[in-house]
Amino acid sequence: MTAPGWYPVFLREMLHFRRKFFKLGYLFSAMVAPLIYLAAFGFGLGRSVHIDRGDYLAFLLPGLVAMSSMYNSYNWIASSLNINRLYFRTFQIYVQAPVSPASVMVGEVLAGMAKGFFASLLVIAVGFFSSPDFALGAPFVVALLMNCLLFSGLGVIVGMGTKSHEETATYSNLFIMPMAFFSGTFFPLEKLPMAVKAVIYVLPLTHTGILIRKQAFDGEGLWSLGVLVLYSLVFLLWGSRMIARYSE
Amino acid sequence: MPPDETIIALRDLTKTYDGVRAVDGVTLSIKKGEIFGLLGPNGAGKTTTIKIMTTLSRPDGGVCTVGGFDVTKEPRGVRGIIGVVPQENNLEPELTAYENLLIYGLLHKVTPLGETVRGHLEMVDLWERRDQVVSQFSGGMKRRLVLARALLADPAILFLDEPSTGLDPQIRRHLWDIVRKTQKEGRTVILTTHYIEEAEALCDRVGIISHGRLIALDTPGCLKDTVGGYVVEYIDAEGRLVQHLCRDRAEAHEIAGGIRENVTIRKTNLEDVFIKLTGERIE
Repeated sequence: MTAPGWYPVFLREMLHFRRKFFKLGYLFSAMVAPLIYLAAFGFGLGRSVHIDRGDYLAFLLPGLVAMSSMYNSYNWIASSLNINRLYFRTFQIYVQAPVSPASVMVGEVLAGMAKGFFASLLVIAVGFFSSPDFALGAPFVVALLMNCLLFSGLGVIVGMGTKSHEETATYSNLFIMPMAFFSGTFFPLEKLPMAVKAVIYVLPLTHTGILIRKQAFDGEGLWSLGVLVLYSLVFLLWGSRMIARYSE
Repeated sequence: MPPDETIIALRDLTKTYDGVRAVDGVTLSIKKGEIFGLLGPNGAGKTTTIKIMTTLSRPDGGVCTVGGFDVTKEPRGVRGIIGVVPQENNLEPELTAYENLLIYGLLHKVTPLGETVRGHLEMVDLWERRDQVVSQFSGGMKRRLVLARALLADPAILFLDEPSTGLDPQIRRHLWDIVRKTQKEGRTVILTTHYIEEAEALCDRVGIISHGRLIALDTPGCLKDTVGGYVVEYIDAEGRLVQHLCRDRAEAHEIAGGIRENVTIRKTNLEDVFIKLTGERIE
């Protein structure tokens, strides 16, 4: 029996991940941003913040998990694809192999999900130590997986489309970083003006933030899940198309 | 299959980058089982032609079929029968030699994988280094590993783009031996080179390419016959290299007798053909 087409793509990323995992720098870089935000907003500023839902730390932690999974899924795949395509030129062995573009896409996305999920586990572990109100329900797990899937897909699109590593970083600074701050990670969205809300509700991380804080799947949660599924499908199809149309 | 069967056919192939025609109406056919060389200087269009044949680049015009598959309409069919040694050693530098071949083998559904990987690493004398990461390899070792990778899936057609650039003479000869062995095993080999010696040593037929156009195509012997058998060359009083193409050795000696400078008489090579056709040198 032969392995499915996506498996070697996924395996390649995991072999790289295994090597990086045992380097101190990797764990530090995966943890540092959420921990700084947790320290600054949760333990610092957060002590004087009161929200209707109760403990601010319990509100903040799921948002940080969503943010961390977004950063790690997206950055890993966008950077890896960009460097492998333009610098090491190892992406070309996928293009010249008899596997479907969808297989390459699925392999890359699964690898991005694994990386994002692992980074999130670190934040979740910190969450359990930090707040007694922090809990994981089914919506939390579904939102986390969907977020990893969605942003890995976006990572493929950016990694395939950009012409330099600098350009990849520009997209990250222009879209990913603002999204981390304005999608309900640090504060509830209910009291924002309608015009601002309309923009923020277009952003996928907003819907991860909504779903990940639910204790059960209610109407709002299911609506957000639908948005995440839609985004994921669009990104998967778009990424597969870019791989299929790859030409030098 | 009959020995003269065409395995690759290009018709009016064109590819343009930023308004510059990298490949300009190339038409040629390559026979099954031959070693075919594309010879020309850097920037002539050899690599672009190879990229089109190996489905890495889409042509702007013309038709290219490889093993009966159209490169634009049936790229996966092409990918299932080719092995590629690109100009650069596109290996995973942070993975081991074994892992590099393992991933390639999985992509190409090689079975039995472990045994095949071992055989190919042994073929290029890298089995003992299988667990070493590729970033620690020398240029020659990387080149051998890329060649082993290209042959791992037992391709019917092997493409080599400037295979021996940067290699020392001993490793170059080893690589040539593997290429000849590859042909004996029944494969078709297409290589690009700007080394005259490589084209003459390996190729059954050579296409000479300049500014994206195929300007000559024949066996090395027949191409050289078009410029005569011998060259008389010397450095004149102003330090310029002067060359006279001669039909045979007798004519060469006759011409050499009338020259006061120190002369060299040598057999013609493919560079003489290129110079005669284009007025430029290859290397």
